[in-house]
Amino acid sequence: MIRKYIPIVFFIIIMITGCIHQTTVVLVPDRDGHVGKASIQNRGGEQLLSESGKAVVVWNEIISPRPAVAFDEQKINSTFGSALAVEPPAPEKFILYFENDSTEIVPASQTLIPAVIDSIKQRNSFDISVNGHTDSTGTAEYNLDLSLKRALHMRDILVKAGINENYISTTSHGEGNPLIPTKKGVAEPRNRRVEIIVR
Amino acid sequence: MKPFLSILLLIFLSPTLVLAAEQPVGSIKTLNGEAAILRVNATIPVKIGMPVYQGDVIQTSKSGSVGIIFRDDSTVSIGPASTMNLKQYVFEPKNNQFSFLMKFIKGTFVYVSGVIGKLSPNSINIETPTSMIGVRGTKLLIEVK
Repeated sequence: MIRKYIPIVFFIIIMITGCIHQTTVVLVPDRDGHVGKASIQNRGGEQLLSESGKAVVVWNEIISPRPAVAFDEQKINSTFGSALAVEPPAPEKFILYFENDSTEIVPASQTLIPAVIDSIKQRNSFDISVNGHTDSTGTAEYNLDLSLKRALHMRDILVKAGINENYISTTSHGEGNPLIPTKKGVAEPRNRRVEIIVR
Repeated sequence: MKPFLSILLLIFLSPTLVLAAEQPVGSIKTLNGEAAILRVNATIPVKIGMPVYQGDVIQTSKSGSVGIIFRDDSTVSIGPASTMNLKQYVFEPKNNQFSFLMKFIKGTFVYVSGVIGKLSPNSINIETPTSMIGVRGTKLLIEVK
């Protein structure tokens, strides 16, 4: 008589022990409000998560991930509060422009320099990218060199202001990565620039 | 004279070329309480600014939490009593090579995708003990009990 219940008891035990390794995946908007997607799968099947504020729970490796259910704000804070509190801030980007065929920063951009330095110091940043660019006048080779000189010039300004040069990585894009795409040989002041990313 | 100098330069540069294969994939950006990185045979206490490498296992204490930013600007924030294995990270836009694989072993995590998510959305995967998550961007909260 007791034998009848053995399979049920066994099933319950598997379900309970399985739940101990449960995975929960919650989809939320990023800081720009964009909502992505995730596909969650195991041996039992697959579940697509595409609605913000919903969660897919996976009980164990055998049973398919459950269909998405609502996961409210309060639950998000109580479960993920500590991890959310240490979320790294988005990098800050600056663009500074240069005079034609020169490593001289235009006066309007020079006023940005204190803000760049401030951002680095406030964030205690160890990771700063300085990327040099040119417009498409002149040869590609010349522009690769000019964009590098612009990046290095910007780097020197930061180092003189007290930023550790080991935290700065410079790249030169030449004319290959314009802000404003133009035909070859067209002067475009908005492409003569350096882009600084402070992480 | 010139070819000789180029060869000499190449010989001097070759150690840096080898080291380039082992460059950091990210860095510790935020920290609350205690966390450690298990790398090869060493246990390294986490400090802000510290580099993170492919293969690292990051563990937080019962009251610790840590935030990591990767070279493609994606981030992983790890809550208390959590462990994660950074299995693979490849970000080479010039060669169109992208791959991001992490294993969340236990705890709570916040993942926000970056440039890899924009350029190659099928290349981000998160493994947990009970599932494989294909991330198509952008922000996910994951708990592994």
